[in-house]
Amino acid sequence: MSDVVDDTDMTDTASDTAEDSEVNASLDAESDLPPHRAVSRSGRLDSEERQGTPYTESQVIMPTVKIVAPIAFTFGLFITFHGSGSPGGGFQGGAIMAAVVFMIAFAFGIESTRDWLANTVVVALAVGGALVFAGIGLVPVALGGAFLQYDLLPIPILDPVKYGMEGVEILGIAPIVAGVLMGLFFLLARGFNSVGGGLGDGSLDEDESIDESGPLEEDAADAGGDR
Amino acid sequence: MTAPLPASPVVAQVTAIEASLLAFVVLTALATALARDVLAAVIVFGAYSLGMAALYTFYRAPDVALTEAAISAGVTTVLLLLTLAKTTRIDHETAFESVNLPAAGAAGFLFAGLLLTMSDIPAIGSPDAPVWSNPDVTQWYLAESYAQTHVENTVMAVLAAFRGFDTFGEAVVVFAGGIAALIVLHREVFA
Amino acid sequence: MSVVDASLIAGYTVGDFLLLAAAGFTVLAIGMLYRAVKGPTMQDRVLAVNVLGTNTVVILAILSAALSEPTFLDIALVYALLNFLMAIAISKFTVERGGVL
Repeated sequence: MSDVVDDTDMTDTASDTAEDSEVNASLDAESDLPPHRAVSRSGRLDSEERQGTPYTESQVIMPTVKIVAPIAFTFGLFITFHGSGSPGGGFQGGAIMAAVVFMIAFAFGIESTRDWLANTVVVALAVGGALVFAGIGLVPVALGGAFLQYDLLPIPILDPVKYGMEGVEILGIAPIVAGVLMGLFFLLARGFNSVGGGLGDGSLDEDESIDESGPLEEDAADAGGDR
Repeated sequence: MTAPLPASPVVAQVTAIEASLLAFVVLTALATALARDVLAAVIVFGAYSLGMAALYTFYRAPDVALTEAAISAGVTTVLLLLTLAKTTRIDHETAFESVNLPAAGAAGFLFAGLLLTMSDIPAIGSPDAPVWSNPDVTQWYLAESYAQTHVENTVMAVLAAFRGFDTFGEAVVVFAGGIAALIVLHREVFA
Repeated sequence: MSVVDASLIAGYTVGDFLLLAAAGFTVLAIGMLYRAVKGPTMQDRVLAVNVLGTNTVVILAILSAALSEPTFLDIALVYALLNFLMAIAISKFTVERGGVL
Protein backbone atom coordinates (compact mmCIF):
# COMPACT_ATOMS: atom_id res chain seq x y z
CA MET A 1 0.00 0.00 0.00
CA SER A 2 2.89 2.34 0.50
CA ASP A 3 3.37 2.45 -3.27
CA VAL A 4 0.00 4.05 -3.62
CA VAL A 5 0.92 6.63 -1.06
CA ASP A 6 4.24 7.54 -2.58
CA ASP A 7 3.11 7.71 -6.16
CA THR A 8 0.42 10.35 -6.24
CA ASP A 9 -0.37 9.59 -9.87
CA MET A 10 -1.79 6.30 -8.79
CA THR A 11 -4.44 7.77 -6.56
CA ASP A 12 -6.85 7.71 -9.46
CA THR A 13 -6.75 3.97 -9.50
CA ALA A 14 -7.41 3.68 -5.80
CA SER A 15 -11.04 4.67 -5.97
CA ASP A 16 -12.42 1.22 -5.39
CA THR A 17 -10.01 0.26 -2.66
CA ALA A 18 -11.60 -1.13 0.43
CA GLU A 19 -11.89 1.33 3.25
CA ASP A 20 -9.70 -0.49 5.76
CA SER A 21 -6.81 -0.56 3.34
CA GLU A 22 -7.22 3.20 2.90
CA VAL A 23 -6.87 3.55 6.63
CA ASN A 24 -3.75 1.40 6.54
CA ALA A 25 -2.33 3.55 3.76
CA SER A 26 -2.70 6.72 5.72
CA LEU A 27 -1.23 4.98 8.75
CA ASP A 28 1.84 4.00 6.74
CA ALA A 29 2.23 7.47 5.35
CA GLU A 30 2.15 9.13 8.72
CA SER A 31 4.34 6.66 10.58
CA ASP A 32 7.62 8.41 9.78
CA LEU A 33 6.32 11.97 9.87
CA PRO A 34 5.37 14.33 12.68
CA PRO A 35 1.73 13.71 13.44
CA HIS A 36 0.35 17.05 12.33
CA ARG A 37 2.35 17.74 9.20
CA ALA A 38 1.26 16.83 5.75
CA VAL A 39 2.76 14.01 3.78
CA SER A 40 4.65 15.17 0.72
CA ARG A 41 2.31 15.80 -2.11
CA SER A 42 2.31 16.67 -5.74
CA GLY A 43 1.57 20.32 -5.11
CA ARG A 44 -2.18 20.16 -5.30
CA LEU A 45 -3.99 20.39 -2.03
CA ASP A 46 -6.72 18.02 -3.11
CA SER A 47 -4.63 15.17 -4.47
CA GLU A 48 -4.49 13.32 -1.20
CA GLU A 49 -5.32 9.74 -0.51
CA ARG A 50 -7.05 10.74 2.71
CA GLN A 51 -10.52 10.81 1.20
CA GLY A 52 -12.32 7.61 0.42
CA THR A 53 -12.12 8.46 -3.25
CA PRO A 54 -9.55 10.76 -4.84
CA TYR A 55 -11.00 14.11 -4.03
CA THR A 56 -11.54 16.48 -6.91
CA GLU A 57 -13.82 19.44 -6.58
CA SER A 58 -16.08 20.88 -9.22
CA GLN A 59 -14.46 23.14 -11.74
CA VAL A 60 -16.65 26.00 -10.56
CA ILE A 61 -15.91 26.05 -6.84
CA MET A 62 -12.13 25.65 -6.87
CA PRO A 63 -11.22 28.50 -9.26
CA THR A 64 -13.84 30.75 -7.67
CA VAL A 65 -12.41 30.14 -4.22
CA LYS A 66 -8.93 30.79 -5.58
CA ILE A 67 -10.14 34.23 -6.65
CA VAL A 68 -12.44 35.05 -3.74
CA ALA A 69 -10.27 33.82 -0.85
CA PRO A 70 -7.43 36.38 -1.23
CA ILE A 71 -9.94 39.20 -1.59
CA ALA A 72 -11.88 38.11 1.45
CA PHE A 73 -8.69 37.67 3.47
CA THR A 74 -7.49 41.13 2.50
CA PHE A 75 -10.85 42.53 3.46
CA GLY A 76 -10.63 40.81 6.81
CA LEU A 77 -7.24 42.42 7.33
CA PHE A 78 -8.73 45.78 6.35
CA ILE A 79 -11.60 45.39 8.80
CA THR A 80 -9.09 44.53 11.53
CA PHE A 81 -6.53 47.23 10.82
CA HIS A 82 -9.00 49.98 10.00
CA GLY A 83 -11.25 49.31 12.96
CA SER A 84 -10.34 52.58 14.60
CA GLY A 85 -11.63 54.68 11.72
CA SER A 86 -14.58 52.73 10.38
CA PRO A 87 -16.94 49.99 11.52
CA GLY A 88 -15.13 46.83 12.44
CA GLY A 89 -12.32 45.75 14.66
CA GLY A 90 -10.47 42.69 15.76
CA PHE A 91 -13.48 40.47 16.43
CA GLN A 92 -15.13 41.01 13.05
CA GLY A 93 -11.88 40.87 11.11
CA GLY A 94 -10.78 37.71 12.88
CA ALA A 95 -14.12 36.06 12.11
CA ILE A 96 -13.80 36.98 8.44
CA MET A 97 -10.26 35.62 8.26
CA ALA A 98 -11.40 32.38 9.88
CA ALA A 99 -14.24 32.22 7.36
CA VAL A 100 -11.66 32.38 4.57
CA VAL A 101 -10.09 29.23 5.99
CA PHE A 102 -13.53 27.59 6.03
CA MET A 103 -13.93 28.57 2.40
CA ILE A 104 -10.59 27.01 1.47
CA ALA A 105 -11.48 23.89 3.43
CA PHE A 106 -14.76 23.45 1.60
CA ALA A 107 -13.11 23.90 -1.78
CA PHE A 108 -9.98 21.78 -1.30
CA GLY A 109 -11.12 19.23 1.26
CA ILE A 110 -11.24 19.59 5.01
CA GLU A 111 -8.59 16.96 5.73
CA SER A 112 -6.15 18.52 3.27
CA THR A 113 -6.68 21.92 4.87
CA ARG A 114 -6.21 20.37 8.29
CA ASP A 115 -2.83 19.05 7.19
CA TRP A 116 -1.90 22.32 5.52
CA LEU A 117 -2.86 24.46 8.51
CA ALA A 118 -1.05 22.66 11.28
CA ASN A 119 -2.37 22.47 14.82
CA THR A 120 0.62 24.55 15.87
CA VAL A 121 -0.61 27.51 13.83
CA VAL A 122 -4.12 27.37 15.22
CA VAL A 123 -2.97 27.06 18.81
CA ALA A 124 -0.28 29.71 18.36
CA LEU A 125 -2.87 32.17 17.06
CA ALA A 126 -5.22 31.64 19.99
CA VAL A 127 -2.63 31.45 22.74
CA GLY A 128 -0.44 34.17 21.26
CA GLY A 129 -3.40 36.53 21.00
CA ALA A 130 -4.36 35.98 24.62
CA LEU A 131 -0.75 36.44 25.75
CA VAL A 132 -0.31 39.65 23.74
CA PHE A 133 -3.54 41.10 25.15
CA ALA A 134 -2.51 40.23 28.69
CA GLY A 135 1.00 41.52 28.03
CA ILE A 136 -0.20 44.89 26.73
CA GLY A 137 -2.42 45.11 29.77
CA LEU A 138 0.28 44.16 32.24
CA VAL A 139 3.13 46.34 30.95
CA PRO A 140 1.57 49.52 32.43
CA VAL A 141 1.02 47.63 35.68
CA ALA A 142 4.73 46.83 35.76
CA LEU A 143 5.44 50.51 35.17
CA GLY A 144 3.31 51.51 38.13
CA GLY A 145 0.00 52.24 36.43
CA ALA A 146 -3.33 50.47 36.06
CA PHE A 147 -4.23 47.50 33.87
CA LEU A 148 -4.42 48.59 30.21
CA GLN A 149 -3.37 52.16 31.00
CA TYR A 150 -2.24 52.81 27.47
CA ASP A 151 -0.49 56.14 27.99
CA LEU A 152 2.21 54.41 30.03
CA LEU A 153 3.10 52.05 27.22
CA PRO A 154 6.74 52.47 26.16
CA ILE A 155 5.98 53.23 22.52
CA PRO A 156 8.46 55.81 21.17
CA ILE A 157 7.51 58.65 18.81
CA LEU A 158 4.02 57.29 18.07
CA ASP A 159 0.94 57.97 20.13
CA PRO A 160 0.96 55.21 22.80
CA VAL A 161 -2.78 55.35 23.46
CA LYS A 162 -3.81 54.91 19.84
CA TYR A 163 -1.21 52.31 18.99
CA GLY A 164 -1.74 50.43 22.23
CA MET A 165 -5.40 50.04 21.30
CA GLU A 166 -4.47 49.03 17.78
CA GLY A 167 -2.09 46.46 19.23
CA VAL A 168 -4.84 45.01 21.39
CA GLU A 169 -7.22 44.82 18.45
CA ILE A 170 -4.79 43.56 15.81
CA LEU A 171 -2.42 41.37 17.80
CA GLY A 172 -4.78 40.40 20.59
CA ILE A 173 -8.44 39.99 19.73
CA ALA A 174 -8.18 39.15 16.02
CA PRO A 175 -5.78 36.19 16.45
CA ILE A 176 -7.77 34.82 19.38
CA VAL A 177 -11.04 34.90 17.45
CA ALA A 178 -9.50 33.60 14.23
CA GLY A 179 -7.61 30.81 15.97
CA VAL A 180 -10.50 29.66 18.13
CA LEU A 181 -12.99 29.70 15.25
CA MET A 182 -10.63 27.73 13.01
CA GLY A 183 -10.07 25.29 15.86
CA LEU A 184 -13.81 24.86 16.40
CA PHE A 185 -14.24 24.24 12.69
CA PHE A 186 -11.63 21.50 12.58
CA LEU A 187 -12.87 20.00 15.83
CA LEU A 188 -16.46 19.80 14.63
CA ALA A 189 -15.34 18.47 11.26
CA ARG A 190 -13.68 15.57 13.01
CA GLY A 191 -16.46 14.99 15.47
CA PHE A 192 -16.81 13.28 18.78
CA ASN A 193 -14.36 10.48 19.42
CA SER A 194 -16.64 7.92 21.02
CA VAL A 195 -13.94 5.23 21.06
CA GLY A 196 -11.84 7.27 23.44
CA GLY A 197 -8.57 6.04 21.99
CA GLY A 198 -7.81 9.22 20.06
CA LEU A 199 -6.82 11.34 23.01
CA GLY A 200 -3.68 13.23 22.33
CA ASP A 201 -2.08 11.29 19.52
CA GLY A 202 -3.74 13.33 16.80
CA SER A 203 -4.24 10.28 14.65
CA LEU A 204 -6.81 10.63 11.94
CA ASP A 205 -8.09 7.13 11.76
CA GLU A 206 -10.27 5.91 14.57
CA ASP A 207 -13.34 8.01 14.07
CA GLU A 208 -12.85 8.10 10.33
CA SER A 209 -13.91 4.50 10.15
CA ILE A 210 -16.90 5.29 12.32
CA ASP A 211 -18.06 8.37 10.50
CA GLU A 212 -17.89 7.06 6.99
CA SER A 213 -19.15 3.58 7.52
CA GLY A 214 -22.44 2.34 6.25
CA PRO A 215 -24.62 3.59 3.42
CA LEU A 216 -23.44 7.20 3.74
CA GLU A 217 -20.09 6.23 2.33
CA GLU A 218 -21.65 4.68 -0.73
CA ASP A 219 -23.82 7.71 -1.29
CA ALA A 220 -20.81 9.96 -1.15
CA ALA A 221 -18.89 7.77 -3.55
CA ASP A 222 -21.79 7.78 -5.99
CA ALA A 223 -22.19 11.52 -5.80
CA GLY A 224 -18.50 12.02 -6.35
CA GLY A 225 -18.44 9.72 -9.34
CA ASP A 226 -21.18 11.61 -11.13
CA ARG A 227 -19.07 14.64 -11.76
CA MET B 1 -18.73 54.21 14.40
CA THR B 2 -21.63 55.87 16.08
CA ALA B 3 -22.99 58.36 13.67
CA PRO B 4 -24.77 61.18 15.45
CA LEU B 5 -28.45 61.00 14.80
CA PRO B 6 -29.97 63.50 12.41
CA ALA B 7 -30.75 66.87 13.89
CA SER B 8 -34.46 66.62 13.22
CA PRO B 9 -36.22 64.33 15.68
CA VAL B 10 -36.79 60.99 14.06
CA VAL B 11 -40.48 60.52 13.64
CA ALA B 12 -41.82 57.95 16.03
CA GLN B 13 -43.62 55.97 13.39
CA VAL B 14 -42.67 52.80 11.63
CA THR B 15 -41.45 53.46 8.12
CA ALA B 16 -41.85 51.12 5.19
CA ILE B 17 -38.31 49.80 5.40
CA GLU B 18 -38.63 49.09 9.11
CA ALA B 19 -41.97 47.34 8.67
CA SER B 20 -40.75 45.13 5.85
CA LEU B 21 -37.49 44.24 7.58
CA LEU B 22 -39.27 43.44 10.84
CA ALA B 23 -41.78 41.28 9.00
CA PHE B 24 -38.93 39.44 7.30
CA VAL B 25 -37.11 38.87 10.57
CA VAL B 26 -40.20 37.65 12.42
CA LEU B 27 -41.16 35.31 9.59
CA THR B 28 -37.67 33.80 9.39
CA ALA B 29 -37.55 33.40 13.17
CA LEU B 30 -40.91 31.61 13.18
CA ALA B 31 -39.87 29.38 10.30
CA THR B 32 -36.60 28.52 12.07
CA ALA B 33 -38.42 27.56 15.22
CA LEU B 34 -41.11 25.55 13.46
CA ALA B 35 -39.22 23.84 10.64
CA ARG B 36 -39.28 20.07 11.05
CA ASP B 37 -36.18 19.43 8.98
CA VAL B 38 -33.09 20.63 10.85
CA LEU B 39 -31.18 21.45 7.68
CA ALA B 40 -34.04 23.66 6.52
CA ALA B 41 -34.00 25.37 9.91
CA VAL B 42 -30.27 26.07 9.57
CA ILE B 43 -30.75 27.52 6.10
CA VAL B 44 -33.65 29.72 7.17
CA PHE B 45 -31.60 30.83 10.17
CA GLY B 46 -28.99 32.08 7.71
CA ALA B 47 -31.73 34.11 6.05
CA TYR B 48 -32.73 35.46 9.48
CA SER B 49 -29.25 36.87 9.99
CA LEU B 50 -29.49 38.65 6.64
CA GLY B 51 -32.55 40.51 7.86
CA MET B 52 -31.00 41.30 11.22
CA ALA B 53 -27.88 42.75 9.57
CA ALA B 54 -30.01 45.02 7.39
CA LEU B 55 -32.05 46.08 10.42
CA TYR B 56 -28.94 46.91 12.45
CA THR B 57 -27.60 48.86 9.49
CA PHE B 58 -30.79 50.86 9.24
CA TYR B 59 -30.61 51.70 12.94
CA ARG B 60 -27.05 52.97 12.38
CA ALA B 61 -25.28 50.26 14.33
CA PRO B 62 -22.74 49.24 11.68
CA ASP B 63 -20.42 47.52 14.14
CA VAL B 64 -23.18 45.22 15.29
CA ALA B 65 -24.29 44.67 11.70
CA LEU B 66 -20.76 43.78 10.68
CA THR B 67 -20.47 41.32 13.54
CA GLU B 68 -23.80 39.78 12.60
CA ALA B 69 -22.66 39.47 8.98
CA ALA B 70 -19.26 37.99 9.77
CA ILE B 71 -20.39 35.62 12.50
CA SER B 72 -23.70 34.31 11.22
CA ALA B 73 -23.03 34.24 7.49
CA GLY B 74 -19.47 33.04 7.79
CA VAL B 75 -19.26 31.01 10.95
CA THR B 76 -22.52 29.91 12.56
CA THR B 77 -24.05 28.34 9.46
CA VAL B 78 -20.86 26.46 8.66
CA LEU B 79 -20.44 25.14 12.20
CA LEU B 80 -24.08 24.05 12.39
CA LEU B 81 -23.76 22.28 9.04
CA LEU B 82 -20.62 20.50 10.19
CA THR B 83 -22.44 19.31 13.28
CA LEU B 84 -25.39 18.17 11.19
CA ALA B 85 -23.06 16.19 8.94
CA LYS B 86 -22.30 13.94 11.91
CA THR B 87 -25.96 13.07 12.38
CA THR B 88 -28.37 10.99 10.38
CA ARG B 89 -31.09 12.65 8.42
CA ILE B 90 -34.70 11.71 8.91
CA ASP B 91 -37.22 12.39 6.19
CA HIS B 92 -40.27 14.03 7.64
CA GLU B 93 -43.66 13.98 6.02
CA THR B 94 -44.73 17.29 7.46
CA ALA B 95 -42.80 20.48 6.87
CA PHE B 96 -43.51 22.07 10.24
CA GLU B 97 -43.57 21.02 13.85
CA SER B 98 -46.96 20.76 15.45
CA VAL B 99 -47.37 23.66 17.83
CA ASN B 100 -47.79 22.89 21.50
CA LEU B 101 -50.84 24.97 22.27
CA PRO B 102 -50.32 25.53 26.04
CA ALA B 103 -46.72 26.57 25.40
CA ALA B 104 -47.81 28.85 22.58
CA GLY B 105 -50.46 30.34 24.86
CA ALA B 106 -47.91 30.99 27.61
CA ALA B 107 -45.52 32.59 25.13
CA GLY B 108 -48.33 34.72 23.71
CA PHE B 109 -49.33 35.81 27.20
CA LEU B 110 -45.76 36.85 27.99
CA PHE B 111 -45.52 38.63 24.65
CA ALA B 112 -48.74 40.54 25.33
CA GLY B 113 -47.43 41.53 28.76
CA LEU B 114 -44.23 42.84 27.25
CA LEU B 115 -46.20 44.63 24.56
CA LEU B 116 -48.10 46.56 27.24
CA THR B 117 -44.86 48.18 28.36
CA MET B 118 -44.11 49.42 24.85
CA SER B 119 -45.86 52.74 25.37
CA ASP B 120 -43.37 53.74 28.06
CA ILE B 121 -40.31 53.00 25.93
CA PRO B 122 -38.97 56.08 24.12
CA ALA B 123 -39.15 56.09 20.36
CA ILE B 124 -36.20 54.72 18.45
CA GLY B 125 -33.71 57.52 17.86
CA SER B 126 -35.60 59.91 20.07
CA PRO B 127 -33.32 62.69 21.32
CA ASP B 128 -35.03 62.46 24.70
CA ALA B 129 -34.25 58.79 25.18
CA PRO B 130 -32.22 58.37 28.38
CA VAL B 131 -29.66 56.19 26.64
CA TRP B 132 -28.93 58.99 24.22
CA SER B 133 -29.36 62.16 26.26
CA ASN B 134 -27.49 60.85 29.31
CA PRO B 135 -24.72 63.43 29.84
CA ASP B 136 -22.60 61.12 31.98
CA VAL B 137 -22.36 58.13 29.68
CA THR B 138 -23.33 58.40 26.03
CA GLN B 139 -22.72 62.09 25.53
CA TRP B 140 -19.54 61.94 27.57
CA TYR B 141 -18.14 59.14 25.45
CA LEU B 142 -19.11 60.88 22.21
CA ALA B 143 -17.50 64.11 23.35
CA GLU B 144 -14.40 62.73 25.03
CA SER B 145 -13.47 59.52 23.25
CA TYR B 146 -11.50 61.16 20.46
CA ALA B 147 -9.73 63.56 22.77
CA GLN B 148 -8.68 60.79 25.13
CA THR B 149 -8.02 57.83 22.83
CA HIS B 150 -7.36 59.43 19.42
CA VAL B 151 -9.47 56.95 17.48
CA GLU B 152 -12.49 58.00 15.43
CA ASN B 153 -14.59 54.93 16.08
CA THR B 154 -16.27 55.55 19.41
CA VAL B 155 -17.38 51.94 19.70
CA MET B 156 -13.80 50.77 19.45
CA ALA B 157 -12.67 53.43 21.90
CA VAL B 158 -15.19 52.21 24.45
CA LEU B 159 -14.39 48.56 23.76
CA ALA B 160 -10.62 48.71 23.84
CA ALA B 161 -9.90 51.63 26.14
CA PHE B 162 -12.71 52.69 28.47
CA ARG B 163 -14.00 49.15 28.91
CA GLY B 164 -10.75 47.43 28.09
CA PHE B 165 -10.83 45.10 31.05
CA ASP B 166 -14.28 43.81 30.03
CA THR B 167 -12.96 43.21 26.54
CA PHE B 168 -10.06 41.28 28.00
CA GLY B 169 -12.61 39.15 29.82
CA GLU B 170 -14.50 38.58 26.57
CA ALA B 171 -11.32 37.54 24.78
CA VAL B 172 -10.56 35.09 27.56
CA VAL B 173 -14.11 33.75 27.30
CA VAL B 174 -13.63 33.11 23.57
CA PHE B 175 -10.35 31.39 24.35
CA ALA B 176 -11.98 29.33 27.08
CA GLY B 177 -14.73 28.40 24.63
CA GLY B 178 -12.15 26.80 22.38
CA ILE B 179 -10.66 24.90 25.30
CA ALA B 180 -14.12 23.77 26.42
CA ALA B 181 -14.84 22.42 22.95
CA LEU B 182 -11.61 20.45 23.11
CA ILE B 183 -12.61 18.95 26.44
CA VAL B 184 -16.17 18.14 25.39
CA LEU B 185 -15.02 16.41 22.21
CA HIS B 186 -12.22 14.47 23.96
CA ARG B 187 -9.42 16.00 21.95
CA GLU B 188 -6.09 17.54 22.74
CA VAL B 189 -5.34 19.07 19.36
CA PHE B 190 -7.47 21.33 17.19
CA ALA B 191 -6.25 20.40 13.76
CA MET C 1 -26.25 69.33 0.66
CA SER C 2 -25.67 66.10 -1.09
CA VAL C 3 -27.71 64.42 -3.75
CA VAL C 4 -29.41 62.25 -1.17
CA ASP C 5 -30.90 65.30 0.52
CA ALA C 6 -32.17 66.85 -2.69
CA SER C 7 -35.93 67.22 -2.73
CA LEU C 8 -37.79 65.48 -5.51
CA ILE C 9 -41.56 65.52 -5.13
CA ALA C 10 -43.68 67.08 -2.40
CA GLY C 11 -40.78 67.43 0.02
CA TYR C 12 -39.66 63.82 -0.26
CA THR C 13 -35.92 63.55 -0.75
CA VAL C 14 -33.88 61.15 -2.81
CA GLY C 15 -32.99 59.38 0.40
CA ASP C 16 -36.66 58.71 1.13
CA PHE C 17 -37.11 57.12 -2.26
CA LEU C 18 -34.00 55.02 -1.76
CA LEU C 19 -35.40 53.78 1.55
CA LEU C 20 -38.64 52.97 -0.24
CA ALA C 21 -36.68 51.00 -2.82
CA ALA C 22 -34.93 49.11 -0.04
CA ALA C 23 -38.34 48.31 1.45
CA GLY C 24 -39.40 46.98 -1.93
CA PHE C 25 -36.38 44.72 -2.06
CA THR C 26 -37.22 43.49 1.42
CA VAL C 27 -40.72 42.59 0.25
CA LEU C 28 -39.10 40.63 -2.57
CA ALA C 29 -36.95 38.88 0.03
CA ILE C 30 -40.09 37.89 1.94
CA GLY C 31 -41.41 36.41 -1.30
CA MET C 32 -38.20 34.46 -1.76
CA LEU C 33 -38.46 33.26 1.83
CA TYR C 34 -41.41 31.12 0.73
CA ARG C 35 -39.09 29.05 -1.45
CA ALA C 36 -36.49 28.78 1.32
CA VAL C 37 -39.06 27.47 3.82
CA LYS C 38 -41.17 25.36 1.50
CA GLY C 39 -38.39 23.65 -0.40
CA PRO C 40 -39.30 21.03 -1.48
CA THR C 41 -35.75 19.97 -2.31
CA MET C 42 -32.55 21.21 -0.71
CA GLN C 43 -31.40 22.62 -4.04
CA ASP C 44 -34.37 24.97 -3.94
CA ARG C 45 -33.30 26.13 -0.52
CA VAL C 46 -29.69 26.66 -1.57
CA LEU C 47 -30.80 28.79 -4.48
CA ALA C 48 -33.25 30.68 -2.29
CA VAL C 49 -30.56 31.49 0.28
CA ASN C 50 -28.26 32.61 -2.50
CA VAL C 51 -30.92 34.93 -3.90
CA LEU C 52 -31.69 36.19 -0.39
CA GLY C 53 -28.01 36.95 0.17
CA THR C 54 -27.67 38.88 -3.07
CA ASN C 55 -30.89 40.67 -2.22
CA THR C 56 -29.51 41.64 1.16
CA VAL C 57 -26.31 42.98 -0.40
CA VAL C 58 -28.48 45.24 -2.57
CA ILE C 59 -30.55 46.32 0.45
CA LEU C 60 -27.41 47.13 2.45
CA ALA C 61 -25.91 49.11 -0.43
CA ILE C 62 -29.14 51.09 -0.87
CA LEU C 63 -29.30 51.75 2.88
CA SER C 64 -25.71 52.97 2.79
CA ALA C 65 -26.59 55.43 0.05
CA ALA C 66 -29.88 56.49 1.62
CA LEU C 67 -28.33 57.15 5.03
CA SER C 68 -25.29 58.94 3.50
CA GLU C 69 -22.92 56.59 5.31
CA PRO C 70 -20.34 55.28 2.83
CA THR C 71 -18.66 53.14 5.49
CA PHE C 72 -21.83 51.02 5.68
CA LEU C 73 -20.77 49.58 2.34
CA ASP C 74 -18.26 47.47 4.27
CA ILE C 75 -21.15 45.42 5.61
CA ALA C 76 -22.46 44.83 2.10
CA LEU C 77 -18.97 43.74 1.02
CA VAL C 78 -18.65 41.32 3.92
CA TYR C 79 -22.01 39.83 3.06
CA ALA C 80 -21.15 39.53 -0.60
CA LEU C 81 -17.95 37.64 0.24
CA LEU C 82 -19.38 35.42 2.96
CA ASN C 83 -22.68 34.64 1.25
CA PHE C 84 -20.60 32.72 -1.25
CA LEU C 85 -19.19 30.66 1.61
CA MET C 86 -22.70 29.93 2.90
CA ALA C 87 -23.82 28.85 -0.58
CA ILE C 88 -20.94 26.43 -1.17
CA ALA C 89 -21.20 25.07 2.36
CA ILE C 90 -24.88 24.22 2.02
CA SER C 91 -24.54 22.92 -1.52
CA LYS C 92 -21.61 20.67 -0.63
CA PHE C 93 -23.51 19.46 2.40
CA THR C 94 -26.45 18.39 0.27
CA VAL C 95 -24.32 16.81 -2.45
CA GLU C 96 -21.66 15.01 -0.44
CA ARG C 97 -23.28 14.32 2.87
CA GLY C 98 -20.90 12.11 4.80
CA GLY C 99 -18.21 12.57 2.18
CA VAL C 100 -16.10 15.66 2.51
CA LEU C 101 -18.03 17.07 5.40
